[in-house]
Amino acid sequence: MTKNIGIYICSGCQIGNSIDTNKLCDRMSGELNPVVMHSHKALCSPDGVNLIQKDIAEKNIDACLVAACGTGVKDDAFRFDNGVLTERVNIRELVAWSMDPLCEDTDMAADDYLRMGFAGLDSTSITTPFILDEISEEILVVGGGVSGLSAAIEGAEAGYRIHLIEKNERLGGWASKWKKQIPFDEPFEDLIDPVVTDLIKRVEENELITVYLKSGIEKIDGQPGEFVVKLNGSSIKVGSIVTAAGWRPYKPDSKDFYGLGVIPNVITSVELEEKVSAGKLPKVESVLFIQCAGSRDLEHLSYCSSICCGISLKQAKYYRDEHPDAIIYILYKDIRTIGFLEEFYKEVQDDPNIIFIKGEFETIQQTGDSVEVIVQDKLLGEQLTLNVEQVVLATGMVPNGTDDLKLGYRLGEGLPELKYEFPDSHFICFPYETRRTGIYAAGTVRAPMDIPSSMDDAGGAMLKAIQTIEASKRGEAVHPRSGDQSYPELYLERCTDCKRCTEECPFGTYDETSSGTPVVYPNRCRRCGICVGSCPERVISFADYSINIISEKIKAVNIPDEFDEKPRVLVFVCENDAMPALEMAAREKLSINPYVRVISVRCLGSINRVWISDALSHGFDGILQIGCKPGDNYQCHFIHGSELTEQRSEIMEETLSTMMLEPERIMTKFVEITDYKGIIDHIDEYMEEIELIGPNPFKDI
Amino acid sequence: MKPILVIGGGITGVTAAVELAETGKEVILIEKKSYLGGKVIQMHNYFPKLCPPACGMEINFRRIKNNSRITVMTHTELAAVSGKKGAFTVNLKTVSRYVNDLCTACGECVAICPVERPDSFNYNYGLTRAIYLPHPLAYPQRYEIDDNFCEGESCGKCVEICKYDAIDLNAKPLEKEIEVHSIIGATGWENYDASKISGLNYNKSLDIVTNVEFEILLSDKGPGEGKLVRPSDGKPPKSIAFVQCAGSRDENYLPYCSAVCCSASLKHALNIADMLPDTKVSIHYVDLRVTGRNEDFLRRVEETKNIELVKGKIARVDVDPESNVLYVEAENIAEGLKKKEAVDMVVLATGIVPTANIPGTIKNDDNFMLTNQQNGIYPAGCAKKPMDVSTSVKDGTAAALKAMGK
Amino acid sequence: MLDLRPDIEFKKELERISGAPLNTCMQCGTCSVVCNLSPDVKPFPRKEMVYAGWGMSDKLIGNPDVWLCHQCGDCSTHCPRGVNPADVLSATRQLTYRKYAMPLFMGKLLGKPGLLPIAILIPVLIIAGIIFAAGTLKIPEGPVNYSLFFPHAWLNASFSVITLLSYLLACFGFGRFWKDMNIHHSGTGPKMGLFRSFWGVKNDIFAHSRFKKCEENSSRKVSHFLVFYGFILLLLVTIFAIYAAITEKYPLALTNPFKIMGNLSSLMLFTGLGIMIYNRIVAKPGSERSTYTDWLLLGSMFLLTASGVIVEMARFLDWSLAYYLYFFHLVCVWFVIIYLPYTKFGHIIYRTIAMTYAFSGRRK
Repeated sequence: MTKNIGIYICSGCQIGNSIDTNKLCDRMSGELNPVVMHSHKALCSPDGVNLIQKDIAEKNIDACLVAACGTGVKDDAFRFDNGVLTERVNIRELVAWSMDPLCEDTDMAADDYLRMGFAGLDSTSITTPFILDEISEEILVVGGGVSGLSAAIEGAEAGYRIHLIEKNERLGGWASKWKKQIPFDEPFEDLIDPVVTDLIKRVEENELITVYLKSGIEKIDGQPGEFVVKLNGSSIKVGSIVTAAGWRPYKPDSKDFYGLGVIPNVITSVELEEKVSAGKLPKVESVLFIQCAGSRDLEHLSYCSSICCGISLKQAKYYRDEHPDAIIYILYKDIRTIGFLEEFYKEVQDDPNIIFIKGEFETIQQTGDSVEVIVQDKLLGEQLTLNVEQVVLATGMVPNGTDDLKLGYRLGEGLPELKYEFPDSHFICFPYETRRTGIYAAGTVRAPMDIPSSMDDAGGAMLKAIQTIEASKRGEAVHPRSGDQSYPELYLERCTDCKRCTEECPFGTYDETSSGTPVVYPNRCRRCGICVGSCPERVISFADYSINIISEKIKAVNIPDEFDEKPRVLVFVCENDAMPALEMAAREKLSINPYVRVISVRCLGSINRVWISDALSHGFDGILQIGCKPGDNYQCHFIHGSELTEQRSEIMEETLSTMMLEPERIMTKFVEITDYKGIIDHIDEYMEEIELIGPNPFKDI
Repeated sequence: MKPILVIGGGITGVTAAVELAETGKEVILIEKKSYLGGKVIQMHNYFPKLCPPACGMEINFRRIKNNSRITVMTHTELAAVSGKKGAFTVNLKTVSRYVNDLCTACGECVAICPVERPDSFNYNYGLTRAIYLPHPLAYPQRYEIDDNFCEGESCGKCVEICKYDAIDLNAKPLEKEIEVHSIIGATGWENYDASKISGLNYNKSLDIVTNVEFEILLSDKGPGEGKLVRPSDGKPPKSIAFVQCAGSRDENYLPYCSAVCCSASLKHALNIADMLPDTKVSIHYVDLRVTGRNEDFLRRVEETKNIELVKGKIARVDVDPESNVLYVEAENIAEGLKKKEAVDMVVLATGIVPTANIPGTIKNDDNFMLTNQQNGIYPAGCAKKPMDVSTSVKDGTAAALKAMGK
Repeated sequence: MLDLRPDIEFKKELERISGAPLNTCMQCGTCSVVCNLSPDVKPFPRKEMVYAGWGMSDKLIGNPDVWLCHQCGDCSTHCPRGVNPADVLSATRQLTYRKYAMPLFMGKLLGKPGLLPIAILIPVLIIAGIIFAAGTLKIPEGPVNYSLFFPHAWLNASFSVITLLSYLLACFGFGRFWKDMNIHHSGTGPKMGLFRSFWGVKNDIFAHSRFKKCEENSSRKVSHFLVFYGFILLLLVTIFAIYAAITEKYPLALTNPFKIMGNLSSLMLFTGLGIMIYNRIVAKPGSERSTYTDWLLLGSMFLLTASGVIVEMARFLDWSLAYYLYFFHLVCVWFVIIYLPYTKFGHIIYRTIAMTYAFSGRRK
């Protein structure tokens, strides 16, 4: 489809001081031959916007190339009605503010960016959203513990039909086995009755909630908006899923674990809780609670289970409320009663029969009727002997994992885990973002947490589940490219069933047919474009992001010949971190080398080898890819885009060697969004390296 | 359904607003400052990943920009509220900062402005002009004028130079009454005023700083421009002591635990180890309170050279006025020794004080909003209790669901 | 290796006397730092708070550090948990008087307010008995002459003997105290000689040099100084008076230098006690806790001084009530002097012993 493209160049914001925009118009209107081309002194002003809108109305402009500031600034001014494509060319930050004013190199850069924008716009098509014919607005909640019950209630109260499944005979989970729980709020004096009883009642009374007891999932297929859940022979259709599969107490493999299983009077905190609920709290004169029994221990659980300090304080109170003379010892490393829980700690502390010992456990043995525990104390520096009748181990929690979801996904039955079986991806900024769109983890399956936190957590996860349904109704992506209506379209005739896309997609968008052909589920997709980068056959494209679009941009750049001594380097920057960093550098008045041409990509992982070979055969002297940090503390919003880039470097080197080019002609660097000085340094260093290697021999061909 | 009002543009409020809007609800997000991002956007990086807050914030800002269901009102506070869930009437007061949304953030006005002011965004390290962009990644990208410093129309140079009619020195405050469905109170926090703590002598030396100020010293907005230096003389500090629970867990100041200061100081220690590997760092704590997976983070700190974790609170910081040497005094409990040590810098791990000021809400003695407010008003984030970023995001999301219910 | 066997009753008693929520201590060490009297090595009172919290009565009581504390209250003011370590140490000292009391019931007798009537009745009966034995148990006629009521020889002899007896018995307790410190807190280094150690702490005692380091309650030093020297002077005057009584020069003339000194020291005592009482009641009622033991000593000393002055005036003015007042005065003398090892006044001995012990272990 041919487009009626209008080009609009802004000379405001000192752009005009650097680039003679009238001359730019003259040069480009002949070359690009748009329907209209204007220069304006302030394109974002009402007058400038009117100019564009008038053209849209009168000259049927359906694609606008706005050469002004970059995206992120003045977005509202340049957002036109549906049906009009807009491409922003950032000549303000990337050219005018960061290159020498009014000189040949700067003009060449401006020209190229206009060419690239034009080529990209010309090859972009209008996006039509993918919307399922039938979207289920019901939600599956897995697990009938505190988190699952809370999620179900909150979802139903927001008006959604909920299917709550629980593998046991009754609802309530672990929390229903506790006799009492720690108070939520002031005053922190007395233990309160478990809230789970009330939650169960509310679930049972709610007409929008269907409970399935003694039920396990056999399989889940489909995608957000139309998950098909098979359980107990029947099947239900849901739009999204909250998994609150909960936790289990830590059980050590080793025999040598604080005398557990060897000395009869050594029990775990869960066992104690069960005894208390059964009304069989042992009548003993002395009890020792050993904190972090298993947690904070590299040989067992290396994380802190977060709840054990509170639990032991509560259990100490159990004993004290029943036995007025019992002496309770609490052996701790740190008392971690964060926030208001400190008040509960103080409350329990106030009991003279409770002895707090900061120290490290050393040995335990049975001596006659009592248990002798030796402890290295950290308050006096003494070795202490404690003779007690009962030892309670605060053993901590292990997540149940999510494999019971039995997802029929190519990439596995559960949610991918980052560490210690906790299914999350961006646990600081976006804690709910799992890597399976529409399936959210809540409560202790996500991270160790106590009852009030689990209840809050359930609400958050439920909101995300509802949101996925609403987004699928609009045919929009969810975080991080929220609202994006493009989706992967596959030209399967060319597919070789190599399975790269199905393996590399971080979000499990693709399943496979038995022969290995990808089956795409657009609603699982988060629009990172990693599949675009993975496909050697150029099968996968988005309406506004494809091999072709970027290739056209690359080829649009004018490459001066070798004797001009004006090298050209193509810089791919990730739109999430590297691009904002580069723009910030320009705002901070750092210079960008005028020989580089920057192309923003959705993710480094979306860079296809074709672009590399296109760029090199087009005559670029080198290619620099700049993205987010990979590794354990990754900052890639698409989980492993940057990591893939490193993994793919072999393929890239192969591409280079088949072209008989030096491996240094392609380089990858990582920056943080705030590292605007670093990104300039990376570019400058790479330019020096390219100068040393010399011009690309393909230049003249 | 009427729009939902979110008060506070920090991480909690922004999250709640974005999540609501993406669920299809209309949202009005009000923020009393000129930019979104709240306290976290002033941070150098997050624990435990040591990554910049701007990274996640930028995504959130983009989500706001691309979502027409969110209306952002900066410089705006809630003045009055009445009604009930489904039909609250709220009065929003917007003070002007004299620059309208025609501003293109070109910066020409800054070059010509003759007046300087302390850079409040950077906790007064450095200066800006009276017309300024709060920080380079500010959203919205719009300049503002500090009328405590601006000379007004008698100067008027910025008005003259602005080609976009973006500056109006006579702009008046606006009041607006609207109806909303429900209210999320994510009013956030500020750090405890360290000068109130006796014995720590916060005001006696430039080299005794709070943990939030230390964030700036680590960043390139600090006096070292990316290199960590002592504020007093610009030299790299050879030793830094961290005072944990500076105000928190103290009946004389804040009785509660502020939840984040341990992790924050551990993070700072790693930042220092990264920038100045030979600098000795000591963190003096009462209990090390990092939970969950952050235990790994603690382990990483323990394994890092030149970082010492000492059980025993620093109760005194003295300044030698002649040499400007700082002395910290604490009992090293593991060793059973009371030590007075000379250090180059002291960082006070001050805690979280809620800034809840929503009319008619119920608060506890420490000014945190209670959860059981009138139906339709939902406190979230640090307005409710001290919490870290991840928990705030979670809390904001959970509050969003409650707010959209009937 | 320490066998931890918490004495919960002791802990509760300590909590009851001190009013401090012992367990609320979170072991931050602020108290040790803000205390200017506390040494750098194994400082107090943080570790004493561990002993207290763990109910380790032996470790706490047989501990010289408890007596290095002068109850400035700096630790209590700065304590982030409101635990008031100063009061805990003060309560420990009270329990020390009780523990080493010889005979043991004397400790209880003077430690519990309920037993006060008995504590009063004992001297009343004994003094009356002695006077009866002397055959003078009736109010004499004519101008006031106390020796007519209680012959000086009888008075001096009986009081000296009883005092001596009381102190001799107490010495066993003091010895046990020394021994306990040796068991529980001997330290490692070689000990200094006893006299050298005592010589080492003389400034702390006579010049109140430790007291000077208090920040929170700086007026304590002044009041204690006045009472301390007022009492010593008065003691000297009394000894001279006994000598004078033997040498038949008694009663002394008003212009006698000893008489002047006596009156002056009474004034010092009054002033000192006045400040102490004022501080406890009016000025800083919260910063240190006042217990029965505190009031017993303050009260008896005040009444002793006051009755002494009144008795003297009564003689000059020929009051009819003079002899009753004189009897009351003698009961007060009994409380302060004879009861000394069992009341808070015993601190002059215990503290001296503990400070000497600490110094001998080079603990400063």
